Amino acid sequence: MKGWRPSPPLLLLLPVVVVLAAVVVLPLLLSLYSSFTPFRLTKPETLWVFIGARNYVNILTNGDFWIAFARTVVLLTVALNLEMLIGLGLALLVEKASRGQRVLRTIMMFPMMFSPILVGFQFKFMFNDNIGLVNNALQALGLTDRAIPWLIDGNLAFIAILTAEIWSSTSVFAILILAGLLAMPREPVEAARVDGCTPWQTFRYVTWPFIMPFAFIAMTIRSLDVARAYDIVKIMTDGGPAGRTELVWTLVARTAYSDARMGMANAMAYFSILLSILFTVYFYRKLAAARTQIAAEW
Amino acid sequence: MDQNCLHRVRNKALGIAHGVGLFLAMLVICLPGIWIVLSSLRPTVEIMAKPPVWIPQQLSLDAYVAMFSGVGKGGIPVLDYFRNSLIISVTSTVIAIAIGMAGGYAFARYRFRAKSAMFLGLMLTRTVPGIALSLPLFFVFARLGIIDTHFGLILVYVALNVPFTIWLIDGFFRQVPKDLAEAAQIDGCTRWQAFWQVEFPLAGPGIASAGIFAFLTSWNEFALASQLTRSINSKTLPVGLLDYTAEFTIDWRGMCALAVVMIIPALTLTFIVQKHLVGGLTSGAVKG
Repeated sequence: MKGWRPSPPLLLLLPVVVVLAAVVVLPLLLSLYSSFTPFRLTKPETLWVFIGARNYVNILTNGDFWIAFARTVVLLTVALNLEMLIGLGLALLVEKASRGQRVLRTIMMFPMMFSPILVGFQFKFMFNDNIGLVNNALQALGLTDRAIPWLIDGNLAFIAILTAEIWSSTSVFAILILAGLLAMPREPVEAARVDGCTPWQTFRYVTWPFIMPFAFIAMTIRSLDVARAYDIVKIMTDGGPAGRTELVWTLVARTAYSDARMGMANAMAYFSILLSILFTVYFYRKLAAARTQIAAEW
Repeated sequence: MDQNCLHRVRNKALGIAHGVGLFLAMLVICLPGIWIVLSSLRPTVEIMAKPPVWIPQQLSLDAYVAMFSGVGKGGIPVLDYFRNSLIISVTSTVIAIAIGMAGGYAFARYRFRAKSAMFLGLMLTRTVPGIALSLPLFFVFARLGIIDTHFGLILVYVALNVPFTIWLIDGFFRQVPKDLAEAAQIDGCTRWQAFWQVEFPLAGPGIASAGIFAFLTSWNEFALASQLTRSINSKTLPVGLLDYTAEFTIDWRGMCALAVVMIIPALTLTFIVQKHLVGGLTSGAVKG
């Protein structure tokens, strides 16, 4: 060694670290600080008033916040599980298809290209109570004789948002699980069949363990941007009617920009960040575990 | 014989059920998109009609003409938005790929302390919801005076894209056998040359698809752009979409037309790289 030189990986990673520190970590530290102040955008001097954890206490005793938080968790849990199930079904359907798999795969990727805001808008259009495709179809089929107020009733709006969310993200699961199915060796399945397994047993004990890591990759990717739901909700209902579809993220945006209470909003934002991190770390660990398991078996 | 026949009928029925299921699934996937394209071509009267008009009576490109004819004639400055979107997305993608390639190479080829912790750390910066990040960024950018500029958004999108780019590129470099670069080095290449002449061309398609993924993320991003842009100086297409919504009314037809304009570049690019994209995401799973 000719004296000390920075190791190559350090040098290679330096730009990444610098950019992320400047654009993500430093601003987050700033927002952490400002969550302990009564900072309002309209009154810059309030940034220097330290009020301890009062913002956090306010939030934690605020019913609206907890309701929004719970709703976000419910939405994510239901959406991720359904996306997983539907994605699995879709992947199995496409894998079974004997012809045109390429075309089918391409169609399957279709929703991935839609910007979340476009998804929100197009489902707002389709769920419109007056001119929307859904109501028109239901009425034309004679299933209902009156217009269903999809985006006006709180519970129905939740279902509509869930539908939009599932439509836009199922393809991530479907595509990755399909990749797993296609990469799977044939022999174990055939062996299981010869040994007299029912199709369900074959799936449960042979196929599923194999495609599990792929499902976890999809989960990890999804959990990286769960907050995309903000765009969808923002445009479909904007948290309405009367806060019945308010998620943590729309609440943060409203507090920060409409009410200009930045300090408060930052405190809330920290809860939403915590939520995202928990989701990601959970799935990442599952993914790591699944990876080592697969590696050991091969 | 009888059992044979029964079996054949069952197989046939299963086959038909499978076909129907597949068709329905694909229909659900495609329908919203088709509906948007169709609505952008129909006159507003037809969209609003009660009872609904199912089969379009007349198709026209009026919505597109109006959109591109500029402000004042029922249009929005869509060309400006388009230009902003393009400049911001392309620049941030190029930078994110350059930085991500360095990082991805480091993760794929070197062993160093706290490697997996660092990888997870990078991913975690990506999980910060856009709206949560926009609050401090808005404040900092306002102070620095880079709100409503291309530069500000480019900076943000680079940071947004880098973690995922690294994940993808790391996977692609792992697929390139280490021996190849070593062989090149034995033959007299420096590590730098070996990288550019052996490893880079082999990982090239993968890197391209990582780039397209980054491009799409920037192209589609809304939460941050809606807070960090103000005017036609830097507003991107997703933010421009909101121009069609007034307090109580929405110009559905115009919105559909803009949606089509937004989706076409994304659609084209994704079709080009779809194969590599899946390969890159899953390569880590099998090789760990």
